[in-house]
This record gives sequence, C-alpha cells and structure tokens, in this order.
Amino acid sequence: MEIVVCVKQVPASTRVRLNPVTNTIVREGIELMLNPFDAYAVEEALRLREKAGGRVTVLSMGIPSAEGILRHALGLGADRAVLLRDKRFAGADTLATAYTLAAAVRNLGGCDLILCGRQAVDGDTAQVGPSLAQKLGIPHLSAVSRARLLSSGELLCEKLADEAYLEIRLQLPALITVVKEINTPRFLSLKGYLRARGAEVETWGADDLNIDPTRIGLEGSATQVVFTAAAERRKAGKAVSGTPEEAAASILGTLLQKGWQRPTSEANRG
Amino acid sequence: MCPEPNSNPDAIQPFLSDESSSTGCAEGIFFPQNEAEIREALRFCRQTGAPVTIQGARTGITGGAVPSGGQIINLSRCNRALGMGWDEPNQRFTLTVQPGMLFSQTQKALAERDFDTAGWSAESQSVYRRFCAGGRWYFPADITETSASIGGMVSTNASGAKTYLYGPMRAHVLGVRALLADGRALLLRRGGQHARNGCFQLRLEDGSLVEGKLPTYRMPRVKNASGYYIQPDMDLLDLFIGAEGTLGVVTEITIALAPVPACSWGVLVFFDDTPSALRCVRELQKLRAERKPAAIEYFDRACLEMMRREQSELHSHQSLPWLPAAEAVYAEFHHADPARMDAGVEAVAKLLQAAGADLADTWLALTPQDLDKLIGFRHAVPESINRIIAERKRENPSLTKLGTDMAVPDEKLEWVLNLYSGSIRQLGLEGLKFGHIGDNHLHVNILPRSAREYAEGKALFLDWARQIIAADGTVSAEHGIGKLKTAQLLAMYGEQAMAEMRALKGCFDPLGMLNPGNMFALDGSG
Repeated sequence: MEIVVCVKQVPASTRVRLNPVTNTIVREGIELMLNPFDAYAVEEALRLREKAGGRVTVLSMGIPSAEGILRHALGLGADRAVLLRDKRFAGADTLATAYTLAAAVRNLGGCDLILCGRQAVDGDTAQVGPSLAQKLGIPHLSAVSRARLLSSGELLCEKLADEAYLEIRLQLPALITVVKEINTPRFLSLKGYLRARGAEVETWGADDLNIDPTRIGLEGSATQVVFTAAAERRKAGKAVSGTPEEAAASILGTLLQKGWQRPTSEANRG
Repeated sequence: MCPEPNSNPDAIQPFLSDESSSTGCAEGIFFPQNEAEIREALRFCRQTGAPVTIQGARTGITGGAVPSGGQIINLSRCNRALGMGWDEPNQRFTLTVQPGMLFSQTQKALAERDFDTAGWSAESQSVYRRFCAGGRWYFPADITETSASIGGMVSTNASGAKTYLYGPMRAHVLGVRALLADGRALLLRRGGQHARNGCFQLRLEDGSLVEGKLPTYRMPRVKNASGYYIQPDMDLLDLFIGAEGTLGVVTEITIALAPVPACSWGVLVFFDDTPSALRCVRELQKLRAERKPAAIEYFDRACLEMMRREQSELHSHQSLPWLPAAEAVYAEFHHADPARMDAGVEAVAKLLQAAGADLADTWLALTPQDLDKLIGFRHAVPESINRIIAERKRENPSLTKLGTDMAVPDEKLEWVLNLYSGSIRQLGLEGLKFGHIGDNHLHVNILPRSAREYAEGKALFLDWARQIIAADGTVSAEHGIGKLKTAQLLAMYGEQAMAEMRALKGCFDPLGMLNPGNMFALDGSG
C-alpha cells in the first residue's frame, strides 16, 4: 500500500511576523514545528503500513528548514521524504498549494491513500486536503477520527458529526484528513533518530514537476491576504465591590475619568 | 501602612494550612505590600508579644508556612519586580524582586519581556531596555511547583529536577535584603560578608552588629536541605538561604538570570530491571562539562504500572504513547549551541547502548512540544499519587501520603535502592520510588491502604532515616524540615547541634518570634 502524508512546517508561536507586501507569514528566522494535526496523520500512516505493508512517503512544500520535519518523520518510520522547494512556490494560497502537491503526488507515481492533518494551525483553512483530492480526482473525507482497512480494500472511517459518529466506507485511492482523536503519536526513538540522520530527503523544484508555472506560488494564487494582524489581547476586566450604591459610584467615576459625558437633564427627561 | 492585622476568622482560615495538608491556628493576618509595611507588622507583633509565621505561596510540604498561633505575615502582596541590573563580570542580567513574586510569574515576565517598571530607578530602566532589545533570558532555578514564591524558594533553598545541573536556589541568589524581628534591616550581597573560623559579625544597615558563633556540625556531602547551611568561613548570605524564615523576614531578593539554552532535549529510557537502570544512571553521572545532563530522574516499575493503569482505566496521560511495563530513567540536556545537539545525542546513544538500553524503545524528545510531554510525565507521577491518596482519604480520613526526601552519597545509591525495595516488599506495602536519582535523591512514597499500613510506613521511614544518617546521608535533600521533620533533624545532627542552631537563631531573633516550630519543635524536643 502506497501512502502519502502531506505535512507542513508552522510557526511554534502565535507571535509571528508578516511580510508587509504579501501579508503572508515570514517563516525565516522563527521557531518552527510540525503542524500538530500532521503528527497524527504521520502516525496513522505508519499504523496502516504496519498492518497492510507498503510504503509511507512524507511530502512537504516549504523552505529549506522544512527538511527538519521530514527527517523527523523518517526517524518515526516513514520510508521516503520529499521536499518541494523552489522560490517560485513561495506565497502560494491553498489553491496553488493543492495544485503543486497534486503534481508532486503524480510525480511519485500516484498512491493508494493520502493523509493530511485536518488543518494547519497557522492558516486554519482546512482547505488543502480536500482541494488536493479534488485536483487528483479522488474521494476524500475530512476530520476522520478512526480509520481501518477492510479486507475488501476499502477504508472504513469514523468521523464526528453533530451528536453522532458517522461510519463511512471509502473506496481507495482516497484522501482523508485526520483529527487528534485518531491516535497518540509515538515518540521518535533514539534508533530512529540515528537512522534518519543519514537518510536522504529528496528535493524537487518546479522544474522537476510537470506543472504550469502560472498556477504555482503567489502568481497562481486565486486569493490574496489583504490584511492580517495579531489579535489584540483583551485586558482583564476590573471587578467592582461594595454595596450597589458604592459599586455604581465606582463605575460612574471610572466612566467619567475615561471621558464619558454625563447626559444632560433635558436628555434624561426626553 | 497596615498597623492592624485582619483578625476576622473567615479571612484567616484559608491561610492556616499549606501543601503539607497540616493545619495551624492564628489570631490575625497581615498582607503587607512593601518593606515598610512588613516592619510595621513586626512592630505590632513585638508590642503584643505575638509569634509570627511568615508565608510565601504556601506550596511547601513540611508545614513551614503553617502558623503556630500568633500572627501571620503573608507576603503574597509583596509581588513586584523592583529592578534589573547587569552583572558585568559574569555578563548576565540580574533581577530584584519582592519575596511574594511567584516563580511562574517571574518566568512569564522574563519570557514575554513584560515587567511593570513603574518606580524603577533610571539605571534599572536603562538595563531593562537592553534586556528587551535582545536575547532570551530566564531564571534557571528549577522547582516542581512553579506557583512557589521567590521568597519561599530562598527560605527553603528550593530545588527540582534540573538542580542536578544548575544547583539549588542558593546558586542563583546574589543578594537578599531582610528585616530582623526587631525591625532592623540588613543587606547581604554574595561575597559581601563572611564568617571567620566559625564566628561571624554581621553589619546591619543602621551600623549595628549581630555577632555570634556558627554551629559546629558538619553538613553531609550530599544534596541537603536539613538545618542551617553552615561552613566555618561561609558567605553569610548563605545563612539566610534555607533558614526557613527563622532568622529574619526576606524583603527583597536579587537573582541571577541566564540566557535560555538554545536547545533542550530529553530521553526516556526503559529498563527491565533496577541494576540496568542504575548502570545507565552511573554512566550519565560521568558526563561532564557541556555534556552534563540538566536532570537525571528515575521511575520504578510501580510508578510506570500506576501510570499504565491510569492510561487504560482513566484514559489519562493521553499525550503519551502506551508506557511499557518497565522501569525508566529520564535525562534532559541543554546546549547553548544547537550545532552541538547532534553530537550530544550520538554520545548519549552510545552510552545508553553500553548500559543495555534498547535504542528502538528509547523515547527521544527533540522538540519543545515533545519535551513538554516528557516533563509532563515526570510531574504526573506525584500528581497521580496524590489523586490515589485523596480517593483513599475519602474512605479513611486518617490516611495521608507518606513521602521521603532523603539523599545519600554516590557510593550508597545502590544500597539505598535495595534498602527501600527490600523493606517495601517485606512489609507488603504499596510503595513507589521516583525522583532525582542523579543527586542520589529519591522520593519514596508509601500509599497506605489502612491505618495499620500507615503506622507501618511511618515506622519504616524512621528506620530508613536512622540508617541513612548512619550512611552519611540527609533526612531532607529538598523539602526542608518545616514543622514535620524536626525529630528527624534532631536524629541527624544530635542534641548539641540543635542547641547550637538555637543559639544561632537567638543571635538574630532573641525573643524567638519568627516562624516558631520551624526546624525546632515547639515542645523543645528538637
């Protein structure tokens, strides 16, 4: 069974810098980590391979440091790692990303199953997985919390719906996105780390893929981030104590201090 | 100013106990916000003849903050940072805080570079601007209970897992300002005033002197938190660190900051038997200089069994994969240069392999997220024990957890492990061993299922203490003496040393006002 897992490197902190021109996240020079949902996708892929045999390939589009998360996945037990790395891929929205990943999956010779995390915690769109399936013309199921390979060759999936679990049989090849309830990811073992240190992480650029250069990166993106800003932290409210009269007087005092105008007596009458 | 204590029983009630679960009594409580208010509170106590219990965040587990009548001075509202400095010879920032500032609050403010600098001196403000401009700094002291106060950490010489590399609180304190019971102030700076041949003369702020003789006992050469820290030519700052509030009230503390290590990683290694785990610990203890682990911790098979039960029955510890039925050693490493991490991992892998570890089953945490999971596992062990005890207490209120805090010299580690295991097995008790094995310092917890087992466990602890004292160990390496271990302190140092310690306290607090019951039993037995 050929399994591909799409993984993404995301900022480890919510304190991120944005490119002032493209409004996309600046990934250079900040602490990055494997997107938490993707860790569950890698684990599920390894478990399915342990049962059904085959091969797990991890695939990421990103900057050179993304090699780190791919090597980590190799250490966990993935068989092959591919990094899509090219300046022309930069600034891609979910559409251009899915287009590029689809080209990479085709370049791999296709596969039986693609696993993605439900969403990346930086963009939170949850669009790349389903969009990738659409580009490849395969069925997909999002937010899967359980997956079991049937003897029929289908994948029996469970996903949480409103107040119920849905059981869905999925004809392969297919794509699923997974939620954290699906498993508990294993730790990297010392042995796995030592093995992965010398393993190859393949690097593919735009020229290695059979793609239309106008459909990748910023140019191929149908959406543009117009404005992004960190959410303002709300300050804790002030508790007012005392009798109702005292509390009201305290609140009134604060309002007046902040420049609130007391209504005139005429306005009160109206 | 707060000249009058709050004597409303409802206001006092929440402050009559600490994490030791023991409860005391008090007539009133002060919540001063600065040194002047602490001085006023002390004046009130002197005038009324009331003994005083000084409280920080009440996270101690030996009853040090539990009042024995009289008044409470609770320092939780003395919780501001007072300034920042630059230590040129050591190229590091320093931070001065009030004693009630919490450890967690300090680390957060350092990480977020978010201090309220109102009232800071111009020089402090200038250093603070430099601090904010670059680099990440933190307070490298380590404790398990991060809601402890910095003042409490000074008074107990607090420590934790990473004390193995960084040393206890003592190693990070550069200065202390304190008030004696009579209201006189003293400022102690590291290297400022020393004892000479067991005698000391300490100059106070008003120019007066406190002088006397230091106790003559020899401290065990192990991690130790039992009694006063004493050396014949000691830096007198060290006298106030770990003094459990018996000499004076700490009003300001200056601590040394350190750059956040560029990279931290850890391993959880599983072993089938104790000799293999011990072999691994021995090898890890040999690592020196930049390879020296930040922490070496141990968990016996009973700990992992308890965690496995909770994983399967309670579905807790879900961030961890299934734990194996084994013993475990956790080691953590810090590097200033991330480029050295790979070589460090390789060296540790070789060492572990030589000790008989299976590298395929050794959990490696290289990312902060994975490291948090392993550290979370370390903290979950005592939490799970507390949960089990709380459950049993509901059925039998007389039951409490029995926990040891003893440490032994290097060559006695194997002996003490066998001592613990043999006695627990022989008596058929439920016992777990875990903790700071790098410092030969294990916590043995007995989880009694009945009043009989509770009594047996208590007797066992006394027997262990006797044997460990004879083996040049200590009865308390970390938690301190407080009010619960005074008999053990007496057993450790003997009558003469206790009398010398009382005499030392008398030099600073002749009326015996401060923290009565701490270190010295109120009935005079210790």
